[in-house]
Amino acid sequence: MTATVEAARPVTRRSLDLPVQVALAAATVALVFFPLVPILVQAFSTRPLYDPVRAFTLSNFTRVLSSGAFWSVVGTTVAFAALTTVLAVTLGTALAVLVERTDLPARGLLNSLVILPFYVSPLVLAFAWAVIYGPQGYLTIWARQLIGRDPWNLYSIPGLAVVSMVYYVPYTYLYCTAALSLSDPQVEDAARIAGAGPLRAIRAVTLPLLRPAITYSALLTFVSALELLSIPLVLGTPAGIRVLASYLYILGIAGGRIDYGAIAAISVLTVAIVTALVWVQERLVSEERRFVTTGGRASRIRPMELGTLRWLAFAFVMAYFTFAVLLPLIGIVAQSATAFLSPLINPLQVLTWDNYRLILETEAYRRSIVNSLIIATLGGAIGILFMAFISLMSYRSEFPGRRALTYLALYPRAIPGIIVGIGFLWAFLLIPGLGAVRNTIWALMAAFIMRYIPLGFGAVSPAILRISPELDRAARVAGADWLGTTRRILLPLVRPALLSGYILLVITFLKEYSSALFLFARGSEVIGTTMIELWRQGNSGPVAALASIQIVLTLVVLAASSALLRRR
Amino acid sequence: MGDLVIEGLVKRYGPVLAVDNVSLTVPAGKLVSLLGPSGCGKTTTLNCIAGLERPDAGVIRVAGTILTDASRRIFLPPERRRLGMVFQSYALWPHMTVFDNLAFGLRLQKLPRDEIRRRIAEVLELVGLGGMERRYPYQLSGGQQQRVALARAVVSQPAVLLLDEPLSNLDAKVREQARFWLREFQQRLRITTVYVTHDQAEALAISDLVAVMSAGKVLQYGPPREIYERPATRFVADFIGATSFLDGIVSDRSNGQLRVRVGGEIELCVTSAPTRQPGEPVVLAVRAERIALATDGNAVNIVPGVKRSQVYLGSRYQSLVETPAGTLRVETAIELPDGKVHLKLPPESLVVLPPEEGS
Repeated sequence: MTATVEAARPVTRRSLDLPVQVALAAATVALVFFPLVPILVQAFSTRPLYDPVRAFTLSNFTRVLSSGAFWSVVGTTVAFAALTTVLAVTLGTALAVLVERTDLPARGLLNSLVILPFYVSPLVLAFAWAVIYGPQGYLTIWARQLIGRDPWNLYSIPGLAVVSMVYYVPYTYLYCTAALSLSDPQVEDAARIAGAGPLRAIRAVTLPLLRPAITYSALLTFVSALELLSIPLVLGTPAGIRVLASYLYILGIAGGRIDYGAIAAISVLTVAIVTALVWVQERLVSEERRFVTTGGRASRIRPMELGTLRWLAFAFVMAYFTFAVLLPLIGIVAQSATAFLSPLINPLQVLTWDNYRLILETEAYRRSIVNSLIIATLGGAIGILFMAFISLMSYRSEFPGRRALTYLALYPRAIPGIIVGIGFLWAFLLIPGLGAVRNTIWALMAAFIMRYIPLGFGAVSPAILRISPELDRAARVAGADWLGTTRRILLPLVRPALLSGYILLVITFLKEYSSALFLFARGSEVIGTTMIELWRQGNSGPVAALASIQIVLTLVVLAASSALLRRR
Repeated sequence: MGDLVIEGLVKRYGPVLAVDNVSLTVPAGKLVSLLGPSGCGKTTTLNCIAGLERPDAGVIRVAGTILTDASRRIFLPPERRRLGMVFQSYALWPHMTVFDNLAFGLRLQKLPRDEIRRRIAEVLELVGLGGMERRYPYQLSGGQQQRVALARAVVSQPAVLLLDEPLSNLDAKVREQARFWLREFQQRLRITTVYVTHDQAEALAISDLVAVMSAGKVLQYGPPREIYERPATRFVADFIGATSFLDGIVSDRSNGQLRVRVGGEIELCVTSAPTRQPGEPVVLAVRAERIALATDGNAVNIVPGVKRSQVYLGSRYQSLVETPAGTLRVETAIELPDGKVHLKLPPESLVVLPPEEGS
C-alpha cells in the first residue's frame, strides 16, 4: 500500500436518499389521511358525500348527541369494554406471574397455550363459543338437562366480556411476561430473605413492579375492546345488545336508509376519544416499553417454589385453556363436519362434508379464501417492507420530519377497523380515477396495511434499535449513502425481525375482517366478510367450515414459520 | 495531501454547547489527540469532522477541500468526505466476512476486482492479519477485530484517519502493545490522524500534538511534553498526571525568579515564572513524581509535613503528605518514612497558574 494519498476524487453520483425518503413519507401521510379526510368532510356536511351540493353544518353532531339510542350504545360499549378489561387484565397478570415466575410443571407448553387465542380471529372465537356455550350450545344443553334450567346466558354483556377476555388475555400476558423477564428476580429473593413467604413476596414486590405493564395493557385492552366488532356483533345482536362498532355496522350496512352524516359524526367522535386514550397510554410508558418482544431471557431465572400449590395452579391453567379455548375450537370444527351438533345425537352418525362442499363449490366463497391468502402473503410482504422502511427513517436517518413520521406511523391505532373501512370506501368513491381500484383486493390490501402500520413498526423497531448506530455510521464513512447503508447493512441485520414481523402480518391479515366489511365488493371478498355474510343468512354449518379453514391456514402458517425460524 | 483545518467549530444540543468555538490545525501526516473527560466535546468534534454531526457554526477543510462551512450552508455528507474512521466498538459488520468488510467502500468506488483483492491483501498484511479474508468478525479476538477495523478505515486510502477511542475495548495488557503498534502504523503510512481518547497516558504516548478539551473548549494545544510539563491551566494540570495544587501569593520577584508565599511562613522559589507582580494570588502546580524526600535541610523549597497514607503502585509508592501549605501527592521509588518528613519541591518543577479557575 502506498503511503501517499490521492487527491479526494470528486463524487458526482447523485444520491437518491432524499427522493426515496420523501416518497415514503408522502405515502405514509397519504395512507393515514386517506380514510380520515372524507369522514371529517362528511361529518360537517349537510348532504351525502356523493352529492355535489353540500353545505357546512353541525347538525350531524347535534342529531347524534341528542339521540337516546346513541347514548345507550355508548353506555353499553363502555360497560362491555370495562368489564372485559378487568377480567382480561386480572387473568393475564395472574397467568404471567404463574408461568413466568413459579415452578409450574410444563411451563413452556403452558406459555404457548396461553398465547394461542392471540392467533385466532375474535370472529372465529365468537362462533366457537356460541357452538359450546350459546343458548343451543353443546355444554349449555348438557348442563340444562343436568340442573333443569339455563345455566348461563352467553348473549349478555357479561357473556360478551368473558369471550372477549379470552381474546385479550394474551395481550396482558405478553406485556407482563416481558416486564417480568426484564426485572431482576433478586428483588424477590431479597423479600424472601427479609422473611416474606412466596405469596407475600409476589404481592409486595412482583406485582408493584408490574404496575407499568399492567396499566399499559389495561389501556390497550380497553381501547381495543371499545372498537371490537366481532364478538358483540355475533353474540350481542341476537339479544339486542349494541356497541359502537356494531351500531355503525347496522347503520351503514344492515339498516335501511343510510344516514351518512350520523355515521361520520359517530366516527369522528369515536376517533377523537380513542386518540385521547392512546395519547394517555403513550404518556404512561416510555418509548422502549411500547415494544414487546417475547422470549429471549437474558439469564436463567430460578423460579419461585409453590410447593403443593403447584399442581393446583397447573390444574387451574389447564382448566382455563380447556374450557375457554380448546373446547370451543373443537366444537366449531365438529360443527363444520356434522349436519347437526348436539349432545342428544352421536356426532359420528351425522358426519358430513356438505358444509365444506358448499364453501368450496360456491365461487364467491372459494374466492374469499383465495383473496385472503393473496392479501395475507403479498400484502404482508409489501406491508412489512414498507413498515421497516418507516422505522428505519424514524430511527436511522437524518430525514427532517422523522419525529412527526414516528407519530404518524403509530397513529392508526386510534382509528377503529370499521372506521378505517368506512373512510377508505368513501375516499375511493370521492376521488375520481380510483374507481377501478375500489372493487379489487388492492383496496383491501391498502386498508389492511394502513391499519397495521403500528403493528409492523413495533415488530421491527426493537431489532433496528438494537443495532449499534456505529455500524451504519461506519458504512456512511466508507462511502455508502443512506439507501446503500439500509440495503447492505441494516436490512440484512434485521432479517430475522423482518421474517417474524412478516409472519405476524400474514396471520393478522388472514383474520382481519372489520376494515373489510364496508370496503369489500363482489370479487374482493375475504374469509371474514364471507363468514359474516353466511352468519347473517343463518348458515351456521358453512360458517363453521370457513372458520375451521381459517384456523387450519393459521396453524399451517405458524408451523411453517416455526420450522423456518428454527432452521436459522 | 494537506492539513486538516478546523475553524470556529460550534455544535449545540438544545441549550447545551457541546463544542464551543473550537479551532485546530492538524498538520499533514501528524497524529493529533483530542484528550478530555467524557462529555468534553471531543467525540462531537470528531463526528463533525466525519460528517456524522452537522455543526452549527464553523469551517472544516482538508487540503483546500471544504468539508463543511456552516455560514455558507456547505455540508458534505459523510459518504462523500473520503475519510477513514475506526469506531469505539469497531463497528465491523457482523454479517460480512473480513474481506467483504474491507471491500465495502472499495466496491462503492467502483474499483476493478483485481485491484480490490490486491489492496485488501496488502492492507491485511500490513496489520498482521494476512490470510484472514474469509473469517467473520465473531471468529476474531478483540485485538484482531480492532486491527480489521483499522484496515477497513485505511484500505480506501483516505485523506484523514479518525480514531474514536479505538483501544478502550481492549484488555490493559493488549492495550499497551496496541499503543506502540498503532503509533508505528501511523508513522509508516504518514496519514493525517485525529485520535480521540480520555486516557492521558495513551494520548501522551502516541501523539505528535495533544489538544486537551473541557466543556467544549480546547484548553491547551501542543506537543505531549509541553502539555505535561507546562500545563496552561489548572484543569490541564489536574487531568494529566498526579498533581498537587498550592494556593499562594507572590511575595517577591527578582532575576526572573518568583517567590511565592504558601501556607503562612513557607516561601517557595519558582524559576519558570511568567510575569506576575508581588501581591498577586497564584496557584502552584507540582507533579507527584517531581517531589523528592529532602536529604539536605538547608536546600531551597523544603516543606515539612506528615505522611497520612500510602499506596503501592507496583514500581513506585504514592503517598499523601499533609503540609502547612496543603496536601501534597508524592510519588517516590522508595517508601517514605512514617510520621514527619521533609519534602523538596525543585524550583523548576513548580508551574504557576492563575488562581480560582473553575474546574
